[in-house]
Amino acid sequence: MTLLWLRLAVILYGVAALAVLPAALYNRPRWRHIAMPAAFLGALFHFVSIAETLYAAHRALPVDTHETLSMLGLLLVVGFLILAARYRTVSFGIFLLPIAVLLAIVPAFHPGHEEIAYPLVRTGWILLHIALLLAAYAAMFLSLIASMLYLIQERRLKEKRTESQRGWLPPLETLDQIGVNSLRFGLPCMTAGLLIGSVLALQTIGPAFFADPKVLLSIAMWIAYILMIYIRSNSGLRGRRAVYLSSFVFLVMVAVWAANSLSAVHRFKTP
Amino acid sequence: MSDLTRDSVQDARVEEAVRSTPQTSKLLLLGVSHTTAPIAVRERLAIPGDRLADATRTLAHQPGIREALILSTCNRVEILTVQDGVNEENAELRAGKRQAPALSVIQFLHEYLQIRTTDIEPHVYEYHERDAIRHLFRVASSLDSMVVGEPQILGQVKQSWTVGREVGAVKTMLDPLLQRAFSVAKKVRTETQIGNTTVSVASVAAELARKIFGSLSGKTVLLVGAGKMTDLTARHLIQQGATTLLVANRTESKAQAIADALRTPSITTGVIPLEQLHEQAHRADIVITSTGAGQVFTPESARAVLQRRKNRPVFFIDIAVPRDVAPEVNKVDGCFVYDIDDLQQVAMQNKAVRNREAEAAESIVTREVARYSDRISQAPVTESIKELLLSAEDVRQHEMARITHQLAQQPLTPEQLAAVDRLTKSLTGKLLHPQIAALREMAAERESDE
Repeated sequence: MTLLWLRLAVILYGVAALAVLPAALYNRPRWRHIAMPAAFLGALFHFVSIAETLYAAHRALPVDTHETLSMLGLLLVVGFLILAARYRTVSFGIFLLPIAVLLAIVPAFHPGHEEIAYPLVRTGWILLHIALLLAAYAAMFLSLIASMLYLIQERRLKEKRTESQRGWLPPLETLDQIGVNSLRFGLPCMTAGLLIGSVLALQTIGPAFFADPKVLLSIAMWIAYILMIYIRSNSGLRGRRAVYLSSFVFLVMVAVWAANSLSAVHRFKTP
Repeated sequence: MSDLTRDSVQDARVEEAVRSTPQTSKLLLLGVSHTTAPIAVRERLAIPGDRLADATRTLAHQPGIREALILSTCNRVEILTVQDGVNEENAELRAGKRQAPALSVIQFLHEYLQIRTTDIEPHVYEYHERDAIRHLFRVASSLDSMVVGEPQILGQVKQSWTVGREVGAVKTMLDPLLQRAFSVAKKVRTETQIGNTTVSVASVAAELARKIFGSLSGKTVLLVGAGKMTDLTARHLIQQGATTLLVANRTESKAQAIADALRTPSITTGVIPLEQLHEQAHRADIVITSTGAGQVFTPESARAVLQRRKNRPVFFIDIAVPRDVAPEVNKVDGCFVYDIDDLQQVAMQNKAVRNREAEAAESIVTREVARYSDRISQAPVTESIKELLLSAEDVRQHEMARITHQLAQQPLTPEQLAAVDRLTKSLTGKLLHPQIAALREMAAERESDE
């Protein structure tokens, strides 16, 4: 049943990803009426599927890679729905919905069977640690997309490509707000997530945890994140440079994610 | 209410309208517009808003006129009437000329507005029945407007409809027709992009500003120099929400006069001495220049402005010839420069888009006219079919009751009774089928003949 919900969610995300193309690129509002309900229902089924999985496994958090990626996909769709409601734009769906499909399709059709033996997985704190960090990842990704869209819109306006100006991109200032607000939302999530993780690690593993490459990279990521917000807020960094900076921090985040395989203590699978 | 439900409700209204209106009633639309009459004629025919109710009431009381609506805008004056049908032979008062219903409307215009009929006649167009419906749908959808796709016309038609209803001139025939016209106009707006582009230079500038800043609420506009186009563009930006207006001009008194002219309770205005322009320009989000002095803003001065603004974007609208803003300023990150040619280019391309979308809109109108006309022509047939079916059902029920009574001594079992009921229903349906089909066919033939 759980898989059925997830598969339904993937199909609905697929429908929304296709419908959002004419809605955004060709300004056909009727397609929006397909894309938005499909994305909303997809997110609902996705949530039900994740909740059922975790409940059935007697744990409150995703423990394997597929589950975690799937949850990140759900957060991205939720981000898309929030942006669509708040800023009346479906442009972000062009990128977010296909990514959500990719993130959810593997667990939907090839579910993992990894188990984890840590007693920690049954505590609420670790759930908060994971949820907050996933939210920070999603926020960073939204900010990166906003910066890229800003760059595209800026070029179109500068090159005076008037035929395409009717189209799909939100105004520059809106894109800038989305980028900065996403980062501002992500920072407390990341800070709290890392703090909770550190306290739990100290209790269970001890100070040795802080010599782990994953942990060191995470601290570097946090510093890069703060620096990026500082630079963007104080110098009004926009356009090309903002994309470079966001891309750099995003790459650091991907590296932190990938560092699970290097870590001796922070892994999805039982070491 | 969904479109489907709304259409069903309107279809029901159409049928109701047809039932309550004599079949000899004729729909006539007569008018002048920017395509047929010069302004000198249109202004004499224009009926001001405060006289519209009286004019509509007077028209509706003319002999033979059952319902009436007057649409009077700066580009058109149109009169839509439902008139009592007249014998076709008698109607043709003068061979090759207007028919009586049209003449009675022209007569009304002559009497009400004191205009000679000979002054009006050469400019007047008239449409009957299906053509009138089509014209009304096109007008409401802004396909017949001077600027195709402009949104005001729909509001003006709605205003006339409201007045017509208030004075009792819009009733069972025109009311559903106008409501259908509104839904067709809405469909055209939502299914095509006819209204999504701007076509004047000033509105294009405002549209581009929105592409940069989103809402213009709280934004500051700086006018450098004075001129009609500058003024018009500034007014457009204010309409879109800009709240602060700064003026810089060689002559400070003129700058002050412009600022005073544009000041309203919600708009703050100020004057900047021209020599302080570069020091103060960072306060503005949108700069409109029209001095023609050349190179008022260079890449260096633009960079300085941006630095003071912490890289918040600036939109330069350069209306001057020679240009006030160096084209290289557009290459500075955060600066967007559009000169008069750029704006005109956008306006022309937008016009082309509108024309393209107008073709799609015409298809919608054609489809909707056919649908509405079909409903009108089918409504009496539907009513006849209903009556036929009801009458047959009465006979069947009567016969069923009779046979049940006759068999009172040896009553049928419930199963047998149900079987007889099914049999009689089936027989009635099969016997009536050819008549119903013939009725529908006749209605379709009549429609195609018309």
